[in-house]
Amino acid sequence: MSLILKVHSFLRNLFLSSRIEVDLDQEVRSHLEMLTEENIRAGMPLQEAQRAARIELGGIEQVKEQVREERVGTWLHSVISDYRYGIRQLRKNPTFTAVALLTLALGIGATTAIFTLVEAVLLRSLPVSNPAQLYRLGKDPDCCVRLGFSRSGDYAIVSNELYEYFRANTKDFEELAAFQAGGTFLGVRHARTANPAETYFGEFVSGNYFSMFGLNANAGRTLSVADDTPAAPPAAFMSYRLWKQIYGLDPSVIGSVFNINDKPFTLVGIAPPDFYGDTLSNVPPDFYLPLATEPFVKGESSLLNKSSAGWLNVIGRIRPGTNVASTEAQLRVELQQWLRSHWGEMSANERLELPKQTLNLGPGGAGITTMRQQYSDWLHILMLVASFVLLIVCANVANLLLMRGMQRRQQTSLRIALGARPTRLVRQALTESILLSLMGGAVGLVVAYLGTRMILHLAFDTTTQLPISAAPSLPVLLFAFAVSLITGIIFGIGPAWLATRVDPIEALRGANRSTRDSGSLPRKALVIFQAALSVVLLSASGLLLQTLRNLQHENFGFDRNHRTVINIDPVLAGYKPAQLPSLYSGIHDSLAALPGVASVAFALYSPMSGDGWSETIYVEGKPEPAPDVDAGSGWTRVSSGFFDTIGNPILRGRPIDDHDSNRSRHVAVINETFARKFFKNEDPIGKYFGKAMGSADDYEIVGVARDARYADFDFTKPPGAFFFLSQSQSSEYSDPNAASTELRSHFLHDIVVRTQPRATLSDEQMRRALASVAPNLPVGRIQSLDQQVENNFSQQKLIAQLTSLFGALALVLASIGIYGITSYNVARRTNEIGVRMALGADRMAVVRLVLRGAFLQVVLGLVLGIPLAIAGGRLLGSQLYQISGWDPAAPAIAVGLLALSAFLASLIPAHRAVSLDPSRSLRSE
Amino acid sequence: MHSEPTTLLQGTLGLLILKSLVAGEMHGLGISRRIQQITGGTFFVKPGSLFPALHRMEEEGWISSFWGDSEKNRRAKYYRLTRAGQKQLEVETRRWGLISWAIAHALKAS
Repeated sequence: MSLILKVHSFLRNLFLSSRIEVDLDQEVRSHLEMLTEENIRAGMPLQEAQRAARIELGGIEQVKEQVREERVGTWLHSVISDYRYGIRQLRKNPTFTAVALLTLALGIGATTAIFTLVEAVLLRSLPVSNPAQLYRLGKDPDCCVRLGFSRSGDYAIVSNELYEYFRANTKDFEELAAFQAGGTFLGVRHARTANPAETYFGEFVSGNYFSMFGLNANAGRTLSVADDTPAAPPAAFMSYRLWKQIYGLDPSVIGSVFNINDKPFTLVGIAPPDFYGDTLSNVPPDFYLPLATEPFVKGESSLLNKSSAGWLNVIGRIRPGTNVASTEAQLRVELQQWLRSHWGEMSANERLELPKQTLNLGPGGAGITTMRQQYSDWLHILMLVASFVLLIVCANVANLLLMRGMQRRQQTSLRIALGARPTRLVRQALTESILLSLMGGAVGLVVAYLGTRMILHLAFDTTTQLPISAAPSLPVLLFAFAVSLITGIIFGIGPAWLATRVDPIEALRGANRSTRDSGSLPRKALVIFQAALSVVLLSASGLLLQTLRNLQHENFGFDRNHRTVINIDPVLAGYKPAQLPSLYSGIHDSLAALPGVASVAFALYSPMSGDGWSETIYVEGKPEPAPDVDAGSGWTRVSSGFFDTIGNPILRGRPIDDHDSNRSRHVAVINETFARKFFKNEDPIGKYFGKAMGSADDYEIVGVARDARYADFDFTKPPGAFFFLSQSQSSEYSDPNAASTELRSHFLHDIVVRTQPRATLSDEQMRRALASVAPNLPVGRIQSLDQQVENNFSQQKLIAQLTSLFGALALVLASIGIYGITSYNVARRTNEIGVRMALGADRMAVVRLVLRGAFLQVVLGLVLGIPLAIAGGRLLGSQLYQISGWDPAAPAIAVGLLALSAFLASLIPAHRAVSLDPSRSLRSE
Repeated sequence: MHSEPTTLLQGTLGLLILKSLVAGEMHGLGISRRIQQITGGTFFVKPGSLFPALHRMEEEGWISSFWGDSEKNRRAKYYRLTRAGQKQLEVETRRWGLISWAIAHALKAS
């Protein structure tokens, strides 16, 4: 058949359908008349003739239906009519439609909200050209500075010299760019203003960074290779967010001078609006500076020209058609070559480790995936939890549909008796379900948007600028649509199919009087299923809430109360090392003078602030540690009075105090784990150790402090070895790396202020006290130590809160399900109850009857749900803290809650049953 | 004997309809009776099968329809063969000849 004819027929059937219908009707009727006439002519009487004609025809509607099915495009026609029918049905029962829509919106919305986050964090690529072509160095993200030629894992962070070596020798890359791992805070002041410097986050990048990503400036120009030479005038590149927020898109800002860490830079351009750098984080860079300016900005702590100081991540755009495996192999060879060229500078250990040094090349389209690693686990858990809720929602709506199917049994059997085909009825019911779920999905998008905003608000500090938008992107919309469709099919198909399993005779028999419950089994199964899932969710949220409580009340080795932490960065204001002692003493005196301040101390970083420094320990009198032995320790530098200020008790010896100056012997305080690790079975007091090779006699141990959690965030492991050095003491090192570390460690970042128990001290007061002695020192965040510790649990908090929310939702939905089925049973068994009461059953017996039905389902749900809940607890394993997945308290409470809700849900139907007038119920039909 | 040809060979009903229209234009009932006649009473086509086939063939362009007056002056829908329909008749006749020869041959063998 020619295509043109087919299309013509299709369109004709679509648009002229009413005329065609009329035509068909007339044709079939005229056929019937002619048959009748034929029979009359053959001698039959009129009645007989008509009857015979009808029998031969086979039924007008049937014939018409058979013609319709043969037509081209008939499927579309029936789909449209099914759609119209579905809409009509939904409008006829507004309550049902509203309830179903709302529950669907909640379920689909919750799932879509989680998916929005999953898509943004786990699936999305960087907003750059052709991310599939990008490859990065390093299997897993690594940060931020790695000194020396040996790596314990693979080479993910490299020095500038190694980067340039790769760039010069690897032809497989169209462009190979490098950028600072982890970024850095900068003190920025616009040259025109008189305001003090503000702290912004920035990153040093290679000259070809933007061309590698294929980005053009939104205004001005991007940094180029020409900017990345030592002789070039210092250029800076700004984020769009900052340009809009602070400078209101003022074009005159481009080309003006900014003082970054007190060094003049010219702003050359603005980044595209959706570019947030190479790492998805809640602190996207606001300034991009060329690598060549790093020594200019960082002064003595510069790492650029130190060949063994790794501080750069590397991402490159590979030439189309290249075999990545061979590029990786080539890079490995180059690494070995470069390492060998530095043989002379290597330590004995490093030479031993040289053959083992390797690197990995992985897909770089998503940039540096730190956030992905961090949040992957809990996003997966949340997705699972949300799917549970969605399943419960499906069960609820399916129950509603089943109930309605039961109510319409008579109508359905009539339609079947009249010749409607069961498949057609199933299709109509299914269309209605899909319509319902698609509408629910549309409302669900609103729920998803609000839900995502709530989660982002709860999970991340409001002061951050996380480049994740709650507004649905295309993948999210497609996901919501797909989920709605599948949901509609899942909850629709069962009831649709069951509704058609009616005996047409029923239509003729009238309302049945049997107490046998023919269609209740699937509804009961659904309620049991809902109850089981609720138990799982409630139990899981119980475990997570308890974990959160355990974390929040844990003693981490220091006192969280009445302590405030002020974050500063002397590097940004351009302080020289020699100026630091007077800076710190000035700040100390100024803060200590404030009313209510009990003591003030400084630390390189305070406990659980997110920072962590560590070194390999060399103990005097003991052999050098073997390369694969763990001989590391965390450490920090503190001022006198720190231990008292932070509330970390000294168990033996003395803390760092005013005795320690640069003229006295160099001392250290260690923690218990350090003593156990390096001085097992000996008294560590009076022993010596060092943190660089050849300096094993650097520090004398004068005290042992109680173990405190400083920088290890894996709560399942005990605190690691840790030592404290004095801020007033400085060691000399011949090794440039060690010397650089020593130097940088004197720029202390945290001021800890202990206040009197009943005193209140405002942030404003503290800022003013600081500004009075150091007006150009940028002050970062000020928060209580308690808050600082809490920030480490934001994930746990979020996941506990959300799971509880979902658990509560599940409980409500399950209760509604139980209420629904119980009241339905009561309504159905009105006769039976009437009979029983007439026969003398008292009210309590009736109540027991009703409750028994409800509780049977709950018990079955529990039987199903408890093993699942326990399995779920095991699954949560890694997320739990100081509570075992087997803990019986959580499932027990969940069971109790469910039983309580079931009881409450059955109260109303029970009350209704009890207040039935026996005579009326006997009379009812 | 009455039997339903449509379930057996879809093409044969079309062939019979086309053939019966060679004699001239006819309405549905007439086509049905004519098929009965020309097949010597073997095939009796129920309206439930005839009408879908007629409408389908009209969509394919082998027959065309128009409303006219029947005997007794009633309005009835008439069908006539189109040029394409005549060609299709030849095609189908040839095809049917081939099929029937093949089956007859198969039955004679062994």
